[in-house]
Amino acid sequence: MWLPFLGLVFGLALGLLTNIQIPSMYENYLSIAVLAALDTLFGGIRAQLQQVYDDKVFVSGFFFNIVLAAGLAFIGVNLGIDLYLAAIFAFGVRLFQNIAIIRRILLTRLDEKRHKRKKTSIE
Amino acid sequence: MFNLAFSYIVDCRKLYNSKSYSEGHTIRLGGAILKRNMYTRITIVLFIIGLMIAVQYNTIQKPAERDTRDIWAIREELAQEKQRHSALLAEIRSLHEVVDRYEQSEKVNQQAALNETLNRLKLQAGLTEVIGPGVVLRVEPAPELIEMGYEIKEISPDLLTQLLNTLFKNNATNVSIDGNRVVQTTAIRDINGKTTVNSIPLSSPSFEIFVGTSDYKAAQKMYNSLQASTFIDSFYLDNFNLVIEEPIEQLQIPAFDQPLTNDYLAEVKKGD
Repeated sequence: MWLPFLGLVFGLALGLLTNIQIPSMYENYLSIAVLAALDTLFGGIRAQLQQVYDDKVFVSGFFFNIVLAAGLAFIGVNLGIDLYLAAIFAFGVRLFQNIAIIRRILLTRLDEKRHKRKKTSIE
Repeated sequence: MFNLAFSYIVDCRKLYNSKSYSEGHTIRLGGAILKRNMYTRITIVLFIIGLMIAVQYNTIQKPAERDTRDIWAIREELAQEKQRHSALLAEIRSLHEVVDRYEQSEKVNQQAALNETLNRLKLQAGLTEVIGPGVVLRVEPAPELIEMGYEIKEISPDLLTQLLNTLFKNNATNVSIDGNRVVQTTAIRDINGKTTVNSIPLSSPSFEIFVGTSDYKAAQKMYNSLQASTFIDSFYLDNFNLVIEEPIEQLQIPAFDQPLTNDYLAEVKKGD
């Protein structure tokens, strides 16, 4: 259970301690990639809670979304169209939706638990 | 046997991946392996996410300082480094000479070589009297200001320090202030209202500063640069006249007469 969290902490620590930096011209791509990654992550959590989680979908979605977002931004820069806005919009909306769904699922689970406890205490 | 187990795991995976999988259908062995697999993948993905966030944070928060110097500034730095390089080379050469002398004199007379080194080091440290070309600076109270009723105070240590820095910048080799030789550990400071050099108060208001140089040409250069400097005005602000005398060939600069304290140097043990 704690292993994924440990992975996140380890990644953060490695990045911060080694002080890796990317050229400022690639900043936009990385920010979109981070957004795509977060979107995939929350999508995965939602799927797990709805019990439709699929490993393949999750991992392929993670990499595909990152590449697609960065690619879209790249094309946008070269064509003079702010296509990265499209990616930010799409991922941003989905991120909020996913978080909302996760919140609702957790709330209903909490309610169910309370009901069960009440029932057992009445019995 | 192995094949059987493998097909079992594959079946489990299919079952697990299918939407019909729920907590009710627990398959102990296959479920555990699949879960571990899943966690590993999620861990890797989260690691990448963490790394990306950290890199993005680094890039935004601490942008690498750009080198904005122009070609002239870089050339100047290069010139400085070159100077350092040549100074180091000269030092290496002189040390090589010392080594050569030791090696040569090993058979003849080691004592003489040691004495020679000792004398050279003493000369460097300012423990010996030096006679050579130099410039004499006289600091005396300005007579017209005394007549006007100005009070002559102690000369400020800051002014003396600044003068000394300029002297050494102009390639002064040996300096003595009011008979006190300036060495590496010399302190010019105010002690109870008296300006002191090597903790000895100056016999102000009138005293002399002897400045030794490597040769007469350097002494002439020193004289000219001091004449052109703003020190005469700076001293006059403190009601003093700074008289810079013509360079002379034979200037006697006294030795440092106090014991040298070295708190941080230690004798090397034999065999080290």
